[in-house]
Amino acid sequence: MLELVDISKRFKKIEAVKSLNMFIEQGEIVGLLGPNGAGKSTAISILSTLIEPTQGDVRFLKESVIQKPAPLRKAIGVVPQEIALYPQLSAEENLLFFGRIYRLKGSKLKQRVNEILELIGLTEKRKALVDSFSGGMKRRLNIGVAMLHNPQILIMDEPTVGIDPQSRSYILETVKRLNKEHQMTVVYTSHYMEEVDYLCDRIYIMDQGNLIASGTKEEIKQILSSENTISIQADRWNSMFIAQLKGHESITKVHVEEDEITLITPKEVNLFSEIISMTEEYGIALRSLHVKSPTLEDVFLHLTGRALRD
Amino acid sequence: MKGILLARVREFIRNPFTFLLFTGMSIVFAWVISSMNVGGGGGGLPVPVYVEEGADGYQSFLEQQEAFQFYPVDKETLEEELREGEADTGVILSKNRFDILVGVESPNAGLIQQTVQEVYTTDIQETLIGDTADAAGMEADQAVSAYKETLSDGTFDLAVNSFSGEESWKYDDNVHRIGGFALFFAIYTIAYGVVKILTEKRMGVWDRIILSPVKKSEMYIANLLYSFIEGYLQILIIFSVFYFWRGITFNDQMIEILLMLIPYALAIVAMSILITALVKNVEQFNAAISIITVSLAMIGGAFWPLEIVSNPVLLFLAKLNPIKYGLDIIQGAAVYGYSFTELLQPISILTLMAVLFTGIGIHLMEKRHI
Repeated sequence: MLELVDISKRFKKIEAVKSLNMFIEQGEIVGLLGPNGAGKSTAISILSTLIEPTQGDVRFLKESVIQKPAPLRKAIGVVPQEIALYPQLSAEENLLFFGRIYRLKGSKLKQRVNEILELIGLTEKRKALVDSFSGGMKRRLNIGVAMLHNPQILIMDEPTVGIDPQSRSYILETVKRLNKEHQMTVVYTSHYMEEVDYLCDRIYIMDQGNLIASGTKEEIKQILSSENTISIQADRWNSMFIAQLKGHESITKVHVEEDEITLITPKEVNLFSEIISMTEEYGIALRSLHVKSPTLEDVFLHLTGRALRD
Repeated sequence: MKGILLARVREFIRNPFTFLLFTGMSIVFAWVISSMNVGGGGGGLPVPVYVEEGADGYQSFLEQQEAFQFYPVDKETLEEELREGEADTGVILSKNRFDILVGVESPNAGLIQQTVQEVYTTDIQETLIGDTADAAGMEADQAVSAYKETLSDGTFDLAVNSFSGEESWKYDDNVHRIGGFALFFAIYTIAYGVVKILTEKRMGVWDRIILSPVKKSEMYIANLLYSFIEGYLQILIIFSVFYFWRGITFNDQMIEILLMLIPYALAIVAMSILITALVKNVEQFNAAISIITVSLAMIGGAFWPLEIVSNPVLLFLAKLNPIKYGLDIIQGAAVYGYSFTELLQPISILTLMAVLFTGIGIHLMEKRHI
């Protein structure tokens, strides 16, 4: 349905996207996962015809849309990362304004505005100025505006940045419902692994402009099928202990957080007894030590040596 | 396009404070500074005069002076006005002498004394010439008129040019202050309207509109048209306030002046687009617009008449400045009584600026993806 074919984008000296290939089929939710600066937003802007690639092609229903973007523009609704609304207008006035620019008129426009307000749960706040909204309400309206013209494909660029857990959950449920009930195709970018894991059928993982993995969730997690992800939890760490883990010949990746260390090791190696004796040696009060099921975060750690939110 | 305009109008109704602030400031500045009568003109500073018997001739000479407005009062009133502080300085005219009474020390006292002294000196000179001519057996009247003729010819010619190249220039303080401040503050109103394009681009609103069936040209036209209307409305309000409230008639040419100022407002919209295209963010724009606006006002003659500027560099810079041409239109029509045809030059230059700056500005904006 929608394809990015060997796309590259260069901004002066920075190559934001390098030879990216991606396809989106009708009715699926596709996730674009990567840390900040991975090139996700640039890829999304190219996909929605807002910027032209330096090289490569964007195809919608097998037709190139770089020179003639109108058919694709009609079919997509874009939820930008920024709150692209008029703060001095009410929720209803914003929807009416953006509805009018999509040539909706009269009773059809009013009906659509009511449907959207209902969908995003802002019917009661329809007359309130956007300026007075919480971050979560603004994000919901930001999504609502993109859906006014009933697009086939909803492209969402980090739609849950900086909002409370309740609003995030509302947004995720709404996206899931739109996909199930209205067969809406969704392209969802995020650096929150859990969101992509929860929502998406297929995932593309980007880092520093490169596509580093793609496939279904299961396929991606299979990358770690020959390895174990070991989690060590304790209150405090000792630098000698960390150094010894990093220098260990059987440990391929070490990621240290405040109260958790994640290790990636070959499946056939059992390091449990060795780790326990090391914690005793360095006086570390161990809280837990276990092998985890691999997550997308672990895959990213395995592929790049860094965590998604580093 | 209609939708974008309506949204801007609705936003303006919700938040008109910037517009009201700049409109209010123009009115207050023009009114207060005109009331202070800085630089003279506009009827001059009122000075009470008590005229003793036989000094009526001096009074009529003084009434012809433009720098001060000498008005006759009786001696008690003169003393009372000085005592109460209603007047700084008063004058008593006698047959062969005059007295300057100073109530409050001010630089005007010296100037008043000089003005009165000149009248008396001229009279004494003419009397002496008449007496000498009489004594020499000549016609006294002929000798005095020959003396006056020589004086009016002058020792050397003084040439002063105005914008239209005339040999002398006229000045109306009220018209200049109102015009200067109206044009100056309109720049802020228009510029802060145009910079919304930059804000909306940063917010992603423009991207949303680009993806809609609305054309990019419609987006630019709607935004620029709105900024023009807002700035022009401000100029209209300021002129109307002074017309109806202070009775400034602008030589009965207010409507003509306002129509001829349309290219000025368009040129400022265009200049704002150019500045918006050259900066990277709103913070840079705010800093740039403050510096540029004040410089334009100073160089373009918004605060003082350009005719008193002699520096060739400043005069050259003024020629690149839309405020100068805006003021040329206002002064030309209100002070010199010029018609539209006679003011075609500043109107054409402003129109050219509008076209040129808009073209370059939009081209740069699109090229730089601002």
